Amino acid sequence: MTLLLKQIFSFLKLLNSDTGTNQLAIGLSLGLILGFAPVLSIQTLIVFAIIFIFRVQIGAAFLAAFFFKFVAFIFDQPAHYLGKAILETDSLRPLFVTMYNMPLVPMTRFNNTIVMGSMVVSIVLLPFAFFGFRILIEKYRATVVARFKGTKFWKAFAATKFYNWYLKYDELYG
Amino acid sequence: MSETAKKTKKPKGIIRWEAIIPFLIICLVIGLYFHFFFDGHLRRALEWVGYNTVGAEVNIAKLETSFFKASLRVQGIEFTDAEKPTHDSIKIGDIRFSMLWDALLRAKVVVNEAAVEQIEFGVKRARPGKVKPPEPPSNEPGMAEKLKTQALREAQEQAGENVLGDVIAMLGGSTSEEQLQKLQESLPSKAMLDKFQTELQGKQQAWDSRLKTLPQEKDIRALGDRLNKVKYKDFKSPQELQASIQELDKIYKDGDAMYKQIQSTGDDLGKDLKSVETQYRDIEKQVKTDIKTLEEHLRIPKLDAKSLTRAMFNHYLAPYKSKFYRYKAMADKYLPPNLLKKDKKDEEVAIQPHPREKGISYEFGRQNSYPLFWIKRTAVSSQAGITPDAGNIKGEILNITSNQALIGKPTVATLAGDFPAKQIFGFLLKLSLDNTKPESIIDYNFNVDSYALSGQDLVQTPDVQISFNKANGSLGINGKVVGLKNVSVNMDNKFTKVDYAISSKNEIADQILKAVFAGIPVVTLTVNGQGEFPDIPLSVNSNLGPELQKGFEKQIQAKINEARARVQALVDQEIGKQRAQVEAQLNQLRGQFDNEVKKAQAQLDAQKKQAESKVDQAKKDAENQGRKALEKEGQKALDELKKKFGF
Repeated sequence: MTLLLKQIFSFLKLLNSDTGTNQLAIGLSLGLILGFAPVLSIQTLIVFAIIFIFRVQIGAAFLAAFFFKFVAFIFDQPAHYLGKAILETDSLRPLFVTMYNMPLVPMTRFNNTIVMGSMVVSIVLLPFAFFGFRILIEKYRATVVARFKGTKFWKAFAATKFYNWYLKYDELYG
Repeated sequence: MSETAKKTKKPKGIIRWEAIIPFLIICLVIGLYFHFFFDGHLRRALEWVGYNTVGAEVNIAKLETSFFKASLRVQGIEFTDAEKPTHDSIKIGDIRFSMLWDALLRAKVVVNEAAVEQIEFGVKRARPGKVKPPEPPSNEPGMAEKLKTQALREAQEQAGENVLGDVIAMLGGSTSEEQLQKLQESLPSKAMLDKFQTELQGKQQAWDSRLKTLPQEKDIRALGDRLNKVKYKDFKSPQELQASIQELDKIYKDGDAMYKQIQSTGDDLGKDLKSVETQYRDIEKQVKTDIKTLEEHLRIPKLDAKSLTRAMFNHYLAPYKSKFYRYKAMADKYLPPNLLKKDKKDEEVAIQPHPREKGISYEFGRQNSYPLFWIKRTAVSSQAGITPDAGNIKGEILNITSNQALIGKPTVATLAGDFPAKQIFGFLLKLSLDNTKPESIIDYNFNVDSYALSGQDLVQTPDVQISFNKANGSLGINGKVVGLKNVSVNMDNKFTKVDYAISSKNEIADQILKAVFAGIPVVTLTVNGQGEFPDIPLSVNSNLGPELQKGFEKQIQAKINEARARVQALVDQEIGKQRAQVEAQLNQLRGQFDNEVKKAQAQLDAQKKQAESKVDQAKKDAENQGRKALEKEGQKALDELKKKFGF
């Protein structure tokens, strides 16, 4: 829990800084995949591996996963119909038969209508989500953060000794 | 600018190298968990699942798993007998199997060979097992009806068990006169008859007033008089003919209106009469039911072989029936539903969706591919003597699978052997579960050449006690279950070397029973049943039934006939007079229908025919007159022509 909270604070800190835009955008986009995928599946494991091995903002991924789980829950019914339509497409049947009998691939649970529908939607949305999140982060920094830093309150707070101590602490241990 | 501010942090690379150690620690923790704790947790989880599935405590002594061998070994599995929690229904010494990694990588479980060893039945437990309390009745529509039917059937069966008691009560000559008097006063048929009579009187009044509005005889006669006055021949001019036809048409229309009024009244009365007659038939049925109820209260027994057989073996068969319903309920709850077929083509039979709580999971199987779950062969073996209750068992179960259509083979189990400690010899079980067809078919065949019985109660009522002190039995059960609904069952049971224990509080009954049973060295019992669950009527036959019937018949048949006549007389006395009144009223209503309506209809029909014949006559007459005038004109013209030419 502490680790998770640390990651979420780290996400908020990074969001309000000037760096790490791509890290955040990738984290949020991978969170989308996590949110739409079933917990016990190989694609979830793969996304986890990507998040842990590569320098992706973990807090962003988890927050996005938490948010998109609700979206996916609401989206279950259309995902079922979409998945059903795909899985019952005659021309794709030989491909599915091969995939179903290949090692590891069945562990994605692609043969389930909801999993298939959600997977297709999340993969299609992934590039749009990445660029969309990038734009949103940049806009947030340019408008909300910059305006907040220009307020008298922030300037007064930034001039306090407490803030300077915090900066020092962050530089050494953050 | 300070020196520290000048320092810039070295940018970190794309890979999170610092996460290697935490990752290794997590892997180590997972490894340690699986090594030290997983087996225990799995064992407890299986015990919990078993308890919830079977409805009684399930214990597992030891469970071992191996990740690299993909194997599982379960030892000392005990299933508590829900009806006798101090004992196990079955105890299995050892189950072991290894799964194929090739299949596991494809998210499927395939076992080439599993072994089940050391099977024991009815072993005493170290401590009594926990039994799950019964589930509250479901609110599912139709379930209440099913439960009601089942309760009714059970009540009937219990009543059947009292037949012998009733016979003995009749031998003793006991009556329940006072109770009968009360019942006689509160006969449901009497209440129905009262209500019916009141309704009938109301109806009769309504009909009387409606019949009065019908055209009377004088109206019909007046119509006839009008008709007679109309000229229908010897017309002097076409105008005269026209006037007659118009008058006839008017009379015809008036008659038709009367006819329609009578007909609609007749139809209404007919319908009412029918509904009244149906109501009366219901009352007649109720009278029969009342007679039956009174007979039951008087405890008039049915002295037929079937009832006596049922009375004798109801108690003996009850545990078998309860087991049957219990396993049927389990099968209904846990067996997978019939697999839906998407297409009719043979090669696509393997592609089948499984309905799930969320979405549908499809199986994209193909020939020679793995189904989701498949144990190809389970070898079952057990050796008597290793533990006191173990038996000699040898057999195999082939193709336990989640998708029989894919592998094209049914699940077949064959077990044979004996349990010397329990004196059970030559048992053979053949079971086939075929789900390759649209409707699943379960074929079963179970035989036991010989088994020992001791202290088996057949009838235990306050009036009579019959049991087998000792006997040797042989048993054969076979049947079929189609679509988990249509059940057929045949059971052949034979008891030899029987040592009976018989006693009755009635001396005559005691003598009869002892004499009858002394002449029966071999008792046969056959049970046949076929039907759709839960309504499976069972036909129970035994050589005991006819013998008992013969034994008792001489003594009490006359008494039974006398008692029946008394009941009939009681019913006649209570409702006979009223019934006669109602029948008279009904007949009156029928008479009204026949006399007034039908008579008026007949009269009008006659008038109608008369009018029609007159119209026909008038038409013919007009035609004849026309023809004659034409002939006259023609002759005249011919004569003139002849004159002109001088003929």
